Formats: sequence, structure tokens, C-alpha cells
Amino acid sequence: MNPTLLAVVTLAAVLFCIGLVGVLIRRNALIIFMCVELMLNAANLLFVAFAWAHGGLDGQVAAFFVMVVAAAEVVVGLSIIVAVYRARRTTSVDVPDALRL
Amino acid sequence: MIALETVAPVIEWQSLSPVLIVLGGACLGVIWEGVLPRRLRNPFQIVTLLAAIIGALTMLTLNFLHASLATDAATSVDPKVGLLAVGTLCSDGPSMAAWFALLVFGGLALLIFGDRQLNQGASAFASAAATTPGSDEEQLADTIGREHTEVYALGLFSLAGMMVFVAANDLITMFIALEVMSLPLYLLAAIARRKRLLSQEAALKYFLLGAFASAFFLFGAALIYGYSGSFQWAGIDSAISGGSTSGVAVVTFGDGILITGVALLAVGLLFKMGAVPFQSWVPDVYTGSPTPVTGWMAVGVKIAAILGMMRVFYVALGGIRWTWQPVIAVVAVLTMVVGVIMALAQTNIKRLLAYSAVSHAGFILTAVVGTQFYVGAGQLNAIGSVMFYLIGYGFATIAGFAIIMMVRRGSAEAWDLDDWAGIGVKNPVVGVLFAIVLLSFAGIPLTAGFIGKWAVFTSAWTGGYWWLAVVGIAFSLVAAYLYLKVLIKMFFAPPAEGVRVAKASPFVWIPVIISTIATLILGLLPGPVMQWLSTLEIFIR
Amino acid sequence: MTETLEITPQLVGIILCGALAIIGGIGLITLRKAVHAALSLAFVMVNLAVIYALFDAALLAAAQVIVYTGAILMLFLFVIMLVGVDRTESHREPIRGLKPTAIVAGIGLCALIILGVGSALTATPVGLESANATWGGNVESLAVLIFQSYVFPFEYISALMIIAPVGAMVLAHGARLRPKRTQADRAAERIAAYAKSGAHPGPLPNAAVTALHDSIATPALLPDGSISAASVAEAMVERDAVVNTQWVAARTAERFAELNGEVEPAVVTPEPLELIDTDEERGALK
Repeated sequence: MNPTLLAVVTLAAVLFCIGLVGVLIRRNALIIFMCVELMLNAANLLFVAFAWAHGGLDGQVAAFFVMVVAAAEVVVGLSIIVAVYRARRTTSVDVPDALRL
Repeated sequence: MIALETVAPVIEWQSLSPVLIVLGGACLGVIWEGVLPRRLRNPFQIVTLLAAIIGALTMLTLNFLHASLATDAATSVDPKVGLLAVGTLCSDGPSMAAWFALLVFGGLALLIFGDRQLNQGASAFASAAATTPGSDEEQLADTIGREHTEVYALGLFSLAGMMVFVAANDLITMFIALEVMSLPLYLLAAIARRKRLLSQEAALKYFLLGAFASAFFLFGAALIYGYSGSFQWAGIDSAISGGSTSGVAVVTFGDGILITGVALLAVGLLFKMGAVPFQSWVPDVYTGSPTPVTGWMAVGVKIAAILGMMRVFYVALGGIRWTWQPVIAVVAVLTMVVGVIMALAQTNIKRLLAYSAVSHAGFILTAVVGTQFYVGAGQLNAIGSVMFYLIGYGFATIAGFAIIMMVRRGSAEAWDLDDWAGIGVKNPVVGVLFAIVLLSFAGIPLTAGFIGKWAVFTSAWTGGYWWLAVVGIAFSLVAAYLYLKVLIKMFFAPPAEGVRVAKASPFVWIPVIISTIATLILGLLPGPVMQWLSTLEIFIR
Repeated sequence: MTETLEITPQLVGIILCGALAIIGGIGLITLRKAVHAALSLAFVMVNLAVIYALFDAALLAAAQVIVYTGAILMLFLFVIMLVGVDRTESHREPIRGLKPTAIVAGIGLCALIILGVGSALTATPVGLESANATWGGNVESLAVLIFQSYVFPFEYISALMIIAPVGAMVLAHGARLRPKRTQADRAAERIAAYAKSGAHPGPLPNAAVTALHDSIATPALLPDGSISAASVAEAMVERDAVVNTQWVAARTAERFAELNGEVEPAVVTPEPLELIDTDEERGALK
């Protein structure tokens, strides 16, 4: 068992689950979204670590693409959050009545 | 400084042309928004949309007829069956059939965006989505006839995302396609003309849960890459079966990584198709979105998610199917049960169809665990039967949501089920058309839905999951009761006051009529389509 | 287990930065204010960048800092500023017992992943020395890979780069709904109003400037000595802050006479200015 890989997989799993718990317990759409970003970062960490483990750069390419996708996703997500804020004057996911997260 | 002397990669332009034409149409649509005066934008967008769809369908037909079967890269000529674009896409029977289906459904569903008659000269989308709902600015934008014509371009982008998703040959391309498919739909969900707060909330929920699900997909993809050292299906498959991966140093880890990765990846995919226990977004998002968008996402996302999932699970993960088949079988049962029972409790027609969409995902999943190999002349394997089911479901869903747009109380859509009482008497044409839709959903003989259900349950049965087929049949009977209840209300209940069938433009009528006729033809004469699908039901590795 | 635990600088770095990243992550989900949460996420990301560098991913380490921390997270901060920094979220739980359940589920999933994956990490890592050296370095080798094997996803991802700004424009950019009014338009409107209702087309008179008082609360006096209502803001009148200029003018005249020796200079005591206070006078100003 390789200690470096074990350490990094543990770190990625912990960060992923912190993000998961954050999505479930926080009520502010912005913070929920940041928790999702943390989960994406945990996945990126795995890509980079496994690229190193396998001696191929494909994992780094994947992490690179994930960053680009995350940038686009943030733009779309934040514009939806701003639109909801303009109408409701809040970014809490509780105030919308029709849905419960 | 080392010069990077590399050769240009080989791109099969002709084989890729359907996707490229759709993307080109979408880009052209964005350009129209920038350069044309407002009054010209809508006609230009509609012409661009139709040109892109028809152009892509033409190229796809040509490719289909002339595709070279040579899988050897050296001898194959451009329109070909095999891996495309340096092995990131796969052109094979299922991907071509899915592209045909997606282009036809995309054309029909996006055409409905063009209707201006049901909302008294305005589209189904907000006049100015950046204004605050209920503000003076919104009123002013309504009065001067502003509209968002970007919706066509966004629709085409999501179509291009779905087309790549079903044909992706590696996890990276699949993830990017997942986002290209989803981001335009998040946006389209947010810009309904009426009930804008509901629409924005639906978009927020869809977005947050969708991003959450893609994080699961990605973490799973990272673990699968960790296991196999490759993103391509072939590489993952050979890592599972113990062979050497192509060009990558072989570092083999234990199965724990693979199983964890597959579980997390499946969460992401099951979320997209709305399977239980990841269905909670479906009713809210389907209800809040503008109805034309609901029709499009119900059809397009389901086709893409299920066929993409089948590709991953059959081609890349076929070697561990004894591990995932029981889990997917349980998910299928849960999805059927929850979808049907929750649909029974609904009083809102859009929510009812949303839960019915959930239950259809369950019926389809029964075939996913079914047999995936050649089963005998005249019978479809899992891929073919799922495809047939999806085609039948797609036509019925497009027609169903388009008819929901027509039934109105005052100027707003009448979603309350009680408002639908006696619609079949008030307007027999619309009544009969919606009856065909409901009968197809219910799986009554002589409709596409019946043949589809027959095909998927047969596939599950021959695949050794006879108990799943039995559960499926039982719940399709319960579901039939649900649709017949609506049907009886439509024709035999006293007509509801103040509800009418509004005059719709050809933009709605043409898709509705094509879809219902197709539903009947597929039910009465399924032979040719089944024959055609049976030649297209093998995934290429 | 036969192999000995080898402590490499890489491992030390990962454990150190990893611990800091976990602290940042916990900060993200526990801190009440959105700004603090965003800054803890930035802290996590910078630590991850260091770990990327330890795994021979030079380009990604730079991109992590520049793109993720520098662009994406700053966009978050921008929106947090837009919607109000001092906003804190409610403590109310929509579902009873959600928080403990979520935390237990998170810890459970985490344990499952670590057990499932950790036990399977049996092989020895290869390292990236040879892969990075293929084309002379990390950036060059990545570039070749992106423009060769992954050229289609790379080009295809540009669709997202178009969707994102289009979406932001649709949802957040309010196009001009009324035509822009130019100076000429405004002048024509004023003259038209003058022709129609006799409204004064020129600018309004200034507030009064006297020796004793020159604030904008002092209305100007017209040639006939009456107070010009148009020279003070209506808000001033409503808040009873308008000075009685006639009284000020009288005081000014007295002082002027004193300075010219016409009367004996009085002992100057500062007296409060007289505000217009009767309803009748205020009505005249409105």
C-alpha cells in the first residue's frame, strides 16, 4: 500500500464528503454552490494523483477540462442565483415555496 | 526550446458533420442575436433551427447509407462506423439511431418554441428575463413586445450536448457533453413568461442538484480512471478483464476503486434520467419550466442519459455486470413504484406527467439489466428495445406537453387536473390526440407504448430477470389505471367552467400531429422500425 | 506488510497541505457569513495547488491559482458583494434532524470510500518523470495531448464558453427598454412644455447668498422681496429646514447700517436663525 496515494485518496474523500455535507446542511444557495465546487476540486485532486500513479498525463488533461467546465458552470449558476435574488431579495433555498432542497 | 513537431490529428469531418452542423446552427443563432435588428431575429432563428436540423439529418442519412464498416483506421474512409476524432467519439449503430431520434425530437420540440399564438402574440418565454417579476420594467418589456430569441440557440446547444453524450467514447468527452447538455437547460428552465418565480426556483433547484450530481459523476470518473489508467471504454474494459491497456503503463489496483467509482458514476447518470432515489428534482423542474422546455428536457435528457448509461455500463463495465445488474434492478423497481404511486396522488397535470416520466425511466431500466446480446430473429436485444421504448415515449411526451400548452384557463395554462374535465367534449380533436398520448403512456395495445413495454419486458425476461419483468407488468397495469382515470375525466366528467382549448399556431400543431400519428404507426406497424433497430443495436468497442 | 513506510518530502507536503485544506473545508461549511466561507474555499484551493505541484502538475498548479482561486472564486465574491455581504443565513432546519443525519451520512460515505479505495491501492505508482519528459516538459506534453488525443473535447468545450455568456446576458443583463434621451431631446421637451403649460424652460434659481447665511436651506428673494419657492428643494420644506430669508435680509441690513456708522454698533451675540415655521408661510413655499 503506497502511503502517498493513500494520503491523497483520503484527503480527496474527506474534501468530497465535506462538500456533500455542506450541500445538505447549508441553506444559502451561494454556499451550497461553493460546496459543489469543493467536491469538483476533490475529484480534480484524484485525477492529478492518479495521473501521477499511472505515469500518464490523461488525468491532468481531465482536471484541466474540469476547470474550464467549472468556470462556465459558475457563470450560469451565479446568473441564476442573481436572478432569484433580484426577484426574492434572498439567496436562501428555504424561501422559495415550491421546492425544498 | 524543443519544437513540438507533431502531426495533425485525423478528424472524420463527414462522420462528425451532424454534430458540427447543429453546433454551427447554434453559433449562428448567437450571431443573429448580435447583428440583426430585433424584429428580424425570430424568423432568422427559426430558419436557422430548421436548416440545422434538416442539414444534420441529411448528413446523418448519407453517413448511415455510406458508412464504411472497416474498423481499421488505415483502410476506413470518412463516413465510417468506428471511433471518430482520435477515439473520443464512437460512430456505431446505437449512436446513429440515437442521433436520428434526437434530431427528429429536437426538431419537433424546438419548433414549439416558435409559437406566438397561445400567449396572444408573445412566446412562452419571458419578455425580458433580467427584469424583476412584477416590476414596471417587466410590464414595459411586455408592452413593447420584447422577447428572448436566444432560446433557439440554447436549445440547439443542448441538442448538440445530447448527441455527443450518447456517442462519447471516453469519460472526459462524456462529462463535457453532460455539461453542454445541461447548462442550456438550466437557463431555459429559468425564463418562463408566466409564473416566473416558480420558473426561477425550478432553475435554481435544477442547477444546484445538477451540479451536485455532476460532482458525483466526476468523482466516480476519477476513481474509474484511477483503477484503469484510461478514460476510454476499451481501456477500462481491458483493465477489468485483465488485458493490457493501450499505450498506458499497466498499474493495477484492487477492485475496490472500480466498484466505488462505478457507484458514484451511476449516481450522476441516474440523477440525469430521474431515477429513484434521485428523482426529487423531476416534478418541481418539470412544473416550473416553460412547457415547451419541459417537453424537450423530458425527451432529450432521458434519451441521452439512458443511452449514455448503457454505453458506459455495457461497453466499459460489461465485465463486472454481475455486480451492477442487481443494483440497477433494485433501482428500476423503486423507480417504477415511486413514479407510479406518486403520479396517482397528483392533482396537477404537469406534475402527473413528471412522475409518469419517472416511472418510464423505471420501465426502461428493466431492459438495461436485460440481455445485451443477439437474441434471435425478429427480437430486439436490450439496446434495441430501450431505443424503441424511448422513441415511443419521445413522440408521446412531445405531443402531451404541447397539448398542455393549449388547454388554458383565462390566459394561463390550466394545470389543475379538475380543469381538464370535459376537455374531450369541448374540443374532440384535442381530446382524441391527448387520448392517444395517454393510451401510449399506459401501454395499451395499438400504440407505440405497448410495443415498447413489450420489448423492454421481453428483454428483461430473456436476460434472466423474469421477476423484474413481472413487477414491471404489474406496475404498468397500475399506471394504466392512472392514465385511464385522466382519460375518463376528460371525456365523461361535466366540463369545467372557464377552461378552453386555445387556438395554437402550426408551430404547435405540426409537432403534435406528427407525434401522435407516429405513436399510432409505431403501435400498428412496428415491424419496419424494429427491423431497422435490430440492425443498429450493437455497441462498438 | 513487508515494505517500510518511506517518508518522502512529497508525502510530508501532502499531509501538511491536506490538513490545512481540510481545516479550510470545515470552515466553508461552518462559517456563517458567505464571505468567510468563500475565503476558506480560496484557502483550500491554494493548498490544493501546492499538492498539484507536488504531483508534477506544474500547469495545473498555476491554473488552480489563476483560474480557480483568481477568477472563479472572485466571481463568487463579486456576487456575494452584490447580494449583500452582511447577510447571514437562518439557523432554521427545514427538516428536523437533517443536520446530524447529513453529517453521519457524510462521515459514513467518507469511510466507505476510504475503506473501499484505500484497501485497493496495492500497486506502486509510476510517477510522471518520463511522461512529462516526452515533449520536454509538463506544459509541452499536456499541449500535445490536448491538441492530439483530446482535440475534439477541447474544441467542443468552446460550446460551454458560448453558452455561459449568453446565459449571463439573458438572466442578468437588462437591455435598454426605452430609447436613450439625448440633450437635444431634453431641450425639445422643455420648450414643448413651455409652449403648452408655460413651465419655465430654464434652470431653477439658486439658493440665496447673504452675509449671514448661504446654505441651500436659504431660499432666494425675488426682486419684490418675496421668497422664491423654486430655489429650495421640496425635501427641505417638508423637513421644516428652510431659513426665513426675509428675516436674514433684515439682520443683514442692520449690520450693514452699523458698519456704515449710521447706528451705534450693538454687542454682537449669536442668535439662532429663524426657521419658517407657520403653515401659512410653508404653504407659500410649496
